[in-house]
This record gives sequence, structure tokens and C-alpha cells, in this order.
Amino acid sequence: MMTILAEITELWQQAGLAAVTMVGLGATFALVLLIASIKLKVQVDPKIEQVYEALPKIDCGACGFAGCSSYAKGVVANPELLGRCSPGGSEVANKIAAILSLSMGQSSVPARAVVHCRSHTEDKEFYASYTGIPSCTAANAVANVQACKFGCLGFGDCVQACKFDALHMIDGLATVDYEKCTGCTACVKACPRNLIEMVPFTHENMMVVACRSRESGKITRSMCKVGCIGCGLCAKQTDLFTVQDNVARMAYDRYEPDQASETAMYKCPTGVIVFRGKNAPEPRPAGEKPQTAKT
Amino acid sequence: METLQVLLLAFVSIVIVNNLVFTKFLGICPYLGVSGRLDMAFGMGCAVTFVVTLAGTLTWMINNWVLAILHLEVMKYVCFILVIAGAVQLVEMYLRKFFPSLYDSFGIFLPLITTNCAILGLCLFIDLWSIKSLLETVVLSFGAGIGFTMAICIMAGIRENLELADVPVCLRGAPITLITAGLLTLAFMGFAGMIR
Repeated sequence: MMTILAEITELWQQAGLAAVTMVGLGATFALVLLIASIKLKVQVDPKIEQVYEALPKIDCGACGFAGCSSYAKGVVANPELLGRCSPGGSEVANKIAAILSLSMGQSSVPARAVVHCRSHTEDKEFYASYTGIPSCTAANAVANVQACKFGCLGFGDCVQACKFDALHMIDGLATVDYEKCTGCTACVKACPRNLIEMVPFTHENMMVVACRSRESGKITRSMCKVGCIGCGLCAKQTDLFTVQDNVARMAYDRYEPDQASETAMYKCPTGVIVFRGKNAPEPRPAGEKPQTAKT
Repeated sequence: METLQVLLLAFVSIVIVNNLVFTKFLGICPYLGVSGRLDMAFGMGCAVTFVVTLAGTLTWMINNWVLAILHLEVMKYVCFILVIAGAVQLVEMYLRKFFPSLYDSFGIFLPLITTNCAILGLCLFIDLWSIKSLLETVVLSFGAGIGFTMAICIMAGIRENLELADVPVCLRGAPITLITAGLLTLAFMGFAGMIR
């Protein structure tokens, strides 16, 4: 009993000695570094520090710089880079503009991720069941996993890439939560089919063409209930839409919620034109058409 | 005279025969990462030389004059890392003040000298080889830095020339760099066993 007690005491003494030594060494180095930091202080442009304080400090890299501190440096040196911070949006851009005493230009429109597909599992055709590596990149390398060569694969590479929990797989379709999306472009890089695009949200709810299928209308229709068949009905309503390579495209920067675009949306036989945004209205079920009879 | 001979041999040994990069395979990360351009490689070599000289000497002092007396050799890893981190901080501040362009071009690799295993490796080797004199420790530490600088500069020179060479497409970039590193190591293996 006594020996154990003595051993414990000895152990404590050793540990105490170690701790004191460590603290002593640490304090010595801290002192040296403190003196060095005062002696070798670099005068940094106070604007850079202010801009850095205004930034979100999440180092997402959406601006094209390595992180928030290097963007701060860059934007002070070159004010044209203002508004590159998509997570911060117009709020941060305004703050930076105030610090740099600049006027805000047109760059205040936030860009948000839009998935150009609206095909859930029940809408798609599959040739075979895929049991390989559960990632879109891997599945995309295997031909004919799903019939549509352009649509969402549903393995969620973008969900994993998203740092803000803004993307979720809902019935085999990547769905953006616009309350959380910051427009950092991580998902754009992750998607092997280039389905996700940054769209300037000039309005709270944006009208988008949720399909990228360049197959002819007949083939698209055989593969997916909600694919764009390139019929051009939308393009007849308003020049916002153009049909190229069998798929409708939309000039997002010119979008205004008017009658013509609304009509185009309801004329679409497969319901590809939908709203995306924070309070986007529910899209009508695929194929349900008021006017044209559907085969 | 005998001391001078020992010191000279130690220097040649650590620079060429027991070069940390070529024979111990330490510090490979900056060796491959910063060896793209010769001027940057030389700057990196100088920074590492400074840090390794400082760290090697300081750790020898701490190990022999503090830890050995208190019988706390178990703590040497922690203490060595503390010394290295402190030295790197010092170098960073110094470079930022006096060589801002070099500081910018290093980017992340400068704070990463902290985790350069060549430095911790040398501190532990000095302990392992049970070097007893301070002078020899200083020479060995400085030599290790020079050896690293030499290795990274040779690599950078070769890589600058490789930019112009007609390398097969499948080997361009990282593969040819690794092959070059392997051949360089093989060449330096020829010195093995000359001293110590």
C-alpha cells in the first residue's frame, strides 16, 4: 500500500516537473516572439483589415482567391473585383464599397445554384440497376446507368460538396435549399454532368428551364417524363427563351415576371419551365396540360 | 586541428553522404512542392537552413542542458516541436518585414516549414547520434540546411529544364518529377558509406 502511494507521489512530482518545464520553455519562446512581433511589425493598409473584417471569413473560394484574407488584399488593390463574394452577397459588397468609398455597380445581384433537371426517380427510365461506387462521378463513367445522359444521377456528389447543407437528395434529384445556398459554386464543380449553374437571382423566385437534354424530342420523351423536347412553344411567347440543340435556354439576366413568360411556362407541354427560389410555387405535375392534348 | 577535421567531416557527411532528402527521405513535401522555379527553391532552402540551424542548436541546448538534467527525455518531441514552431514564426515575421515578395511567393509553404519533417528529423538524429559538442551540433544543423538547399536547387534546375524537354504526354507533370527524384536519390546513393 505504501509503495503504491510512494509511486503515485513520485509520478505526480515528475508530472509537475514536466509541466513546469514546458510552461517555462513556452513562456520563454512567447516572450521572444512577442518582442520580435513588436520589432518586426509590418504596416498593413488598414483598409485590408477592415475589408477582411467585413467578409464572411468562411474561406469558400467562390471569389477565385485562396481565402477571405487574400480576397481582401485583392479587392483593395483592384476595386473591380468588388462583388465577387457570393456568400456575403450585396450586404458585404456594400460594406466593402463603403470602406473603399466606391459606389456600387450592377454586381449586387446574388448568384445562386440552380439544378437544371427536375426528374425524380419516378420520372426517369433506367436501363439497369447500378450497384457500383455510389458517386455521380463513378456512375457517370459507366455508360447507360440511366437512360438520360444529361439528367441528375442522384448519388449526391453535390450534396457532399456543399458546406452549407443547402443541397439535399429528394427522390433522386438534387434539390437546392435557397434559404441556405450562398452561391459558393462548390456544387458546380462537383457535378460531373455540369447540371448545376449559377443563375443571377434578379428576383426572389427565378423562372428556370430545368432540363439540359440535347436529345431529340422523341428520345427525350421516351426517357423522361419531364424533359425538354425542344418544341419551341416557349420561344414563340417571349424572346427570353431560345431553343438550341433541342433544348430551351433562357436569358436569366433579362428575366422579368411578366405575362409572356408566365404564358410560356404554362404552354410548356412537359412542365420543364419552373420556379426556383426561396418561396418557389410548387411545379404542376408533369404532363398535366390545360390546352394541348398529351400523347 | 583534430576538431577542425571532425567538424569538416561532419559537414561533408550531412551535406552529401547523409543528405536528409536523398538518403533519409525527409522533407519530401517542400522538395517536390516548391521546386518549380529556381529562385523560389533557393529562397525556400535559405528559410529552411535558417530554421534548421536555429532549431537544431536550440533543441540540442534544451535537450542537454534542461531535459537531460531533469530526466525528462520523454518530453523531447513536444519541446522540439515547440522550438521549431517558434523559429518558423520568427522567420515568417522577418521575411514579411524585409522580403515581402518572397513572403508572397511562398504562400502556405512558409508556415508549413513547421511540419517539414527534415527539421524535426535532424533534431532527433542529433540526439540519436549522441553528438556531445555544441560546435558540432551547429555545424551539423547548418550542413543539413545546406544539404536541403542543394537538393531542392538541383531539383528545381532539372525541373526548369524539363519544362522545355519533350516529355511523353503520360509522364508530364508529377510522374516525371517523381522519376527525376528517384534517379537523383540513386545518384546520391553512390556516396553511401564514405563517411560514418
